[in-house]
Amino acid sequence: MSDAQPDGILRNHKILVANRGEIAMRIMGACGRLGIPFAAVYTAEDAASGHVSAARGEGGAKSLFRVSSYHDANELMSVADEAGCTAVHPGYGFFAEDFRFARRVTKRDRKMIFIGPSWKIIRELGDKINTKRLARSLGVPTVPGSDRPIYDEMEAERIAKTIFEFQEQQGISHPLVLVKASAGGGGMGIEEVYDPDQFRSVYRRIRNYALRQFKDEGVLIEQRVMNFNHLEVQIVSDRTRMNPVHFGTRNCSIQSTGLQKRIEVAPGFVPEALEYSFDARRVLDDIVAYSLKMARTVGYDNVGTWEWIVTRKGNPYLMEVNTRIQVENGVSARIAQIRGQGGVDLIAEQIRTGLGEPLGYRQEDIGFEGVSIEYRLIAEDPENNFTPWVGRIEGFSWKDAPWLTMLTHVPDRLPYEIPTEFDPNLALAIIYGKDIQEARERGAVFLNSLRLTGRDSAGEPLKSNVAFLKDNTGRILCF
Amino acid sequence: MFNISKLLDEIKSSPYREIIVAAPHTGKIAFAGVEIGARVHGPQGRWKETPGTKLCTLERECNPKPVCAPENGEICQVHRELDGHFVEAGTPLVVLRHMLTRDEVQRIILQKTLYLFPAPERAKYYFTPEADKKIRASDARSVTVHNGMELFIMSRMKREVPLNYTGPDGVIYEVYFKYNKNLDAGSPLVGICPQDHLHIIQNLVMRVQTEWTET
Repeated sequence: MSDAQPDGILRNHKILVANRGEIAMRIMGACGRLGIPFAAVYTAEDAASGHVSAARGEGGAKSLFRVSSYHDANELMSVADEAGCTAVHPGYGFFAEDFRFARRVTKRDRKMIFIGPSWKIIRELGDKINTKRLARSLGVPTVPGSDRPIYDEMEAERIAKTIFEFQEQQGISHPLVLVKASAGGGGMGIEEVYDPDQFRSVYRRIRNYALRQFKDEGVLIEQRVMNFNHLEVQIVSDRTRMNPVHFGTRNCSIQSTGLQKRIEVAPGFVPEALEYSFDARRVLDDIVAYSLKMARTVGYDNVGTWEWIVTRKGNPYLMEVNTRIQVENGVSARIAQIRGQGGVDLIAEQIRTGLGEPLGYRQEDIGFEGVSIEYRLIAEDPENNFTPWVGRIEGFSWKDAPWLTMLTHVPDRLPYEIPTEFDPNLALAIIYGKDIQEARERGAVFLNSLRLTGRDSAGEPLKSNVAFLKDNTGRILCF
Repeated sequence: MFNISKLLDEIKSSPYREIIVAAPHTGKIAFAGVEIGARVHGPQGRWKETPGTKLCTLERECNPKPVCAPENGEICQVHRELDGHFVEAGTPLVVLRHMLTRDEVQRIILQKTLYLFPAPERAKYYFTPEADKKIRASDARSVTVHNGMELFIMSRMKREVPLNYTGPDGVIYEVYFKYNKNLDAGSPLVGICPQDHLHIIQNLVMRVQTEWTET
């Protein structure tokens, strides 16, 4: 653990890291830098994960607890009580966007702090439909489609038909409709419909998936905007809710077939180096202004991300708001400076403001320099529709460089069995360059130095999406 | 042909199974008055609605949860040193010696006789909606399968892919997986019995029912 001594509001706090893998390690690292003790949890399947060995080594006296599930709130509360925690950091996924969990943490007999937005804000913005309604009421453009979950097949068909007809009227040659699980997220439970006759079977498939995975068969039906840029605006605010600031934009347009992000770049557009068919600078200004307007209206009080679609003509549409820290926050942090100082840690900012410290800086204190690219290294087969490719990792190495930040929960001691219970994410590689060209070149150097060896359960050599990333290094920024 | 008498003799020579009762979740443990050598019973009733003998209580978030014997048997070990302490999920609490029941013996023998279709990967498995509907309406034995038929949905890391059945045609005689539970690669998913072998299987079942005595 770090020797840093917390002061003021941060003193006497202890944080329960209610997550696993890479994000758990990052939270533990941020706690160490702030000098705040922590307790971590793990399940039987995760016993070999790097976050377990990190917690065992750094957390101090009894800081690691085996639980039956990361999804069991009772389990997390009892560990928090046993370990004497005063706050819970949910990371991303699991309980990060569950307003009931956030409310319970703050309302129970032994109250704790939920490190994230307050539960009322999660309830308001965590629901894609509420977000859409709120955005429309503020004049913020949103993707055309249903503004509530659809449970009735006939109604779903009617909405899909209207969206197909609308696109035809707009002169779109290949209209597409997106069917997605209302309770889903992170690209799970989303499918496209090309042919109106296929709509019913896709709808049923997504409805059944949603029921199995999220226990809610509500489905959203939207227009699928093609050839778009997927942009994000990083917002940070404190408990005073007075002055939310932004930490710039990210471009997450490179996704695999399952609409899972693969490569992220900050800033969202680079007009000084690349040509666009629209005024890119104006679009960035617009989405930042819209995001801040919504954040101010709801009184946003922690870290959050506003997700946008920007069409080829430069029209932005708000997709959703993620009321949590995101996987890709590291690219924004990498290029950000506060009062000219680099090394920004958005998770530490989240913990600090979550525990009640004021932000301590204003928008004009935040600056940006350079370009950052993040590669997600995932055990999956790019030649087989990106299906998870699980097995045993026997070798995992890369060449260290000052411009590279590697975040991984794959332990130093190999072999490591990739658990099938969780996302197949293995690592995040964040590469920095003074401009887009340098970042691209360094990215290629990193990917060429990367070695991943092992076997899947059938004895075949282990694959990862590295091949896909390498093939695409020439067109990393395809906007 | 499969030698049932030999297999039954093998099982009879060691008719016990050791069951480790572990903490299902975290909490503070308080042992009930159970002693080594005491006989305990598992859940009873048509739908197993009566819980087994209470072994201990696990309290979490002010909710005391009784931890009961999962099967009939005799207590061999009690981890009394944990009494009154906070335990983590999976901590061994009690060890039982359980004598195999008729159903368990039948299951062992059926696993040696039926065609077992294995799980290709560690994952969660579901029947396709069509097969699931039939099974819910009557039972698994009402579903006839044939080689290449899309029968399962394999779900791992939140991503789902269809899985085709490969093997001889027949009916689903036994289902070895549970919804929302992970199954290891190579574990059987279903036991398939060809239509013309049904009478042999039924004879086997009958023989176990008559020859195996439960204590």
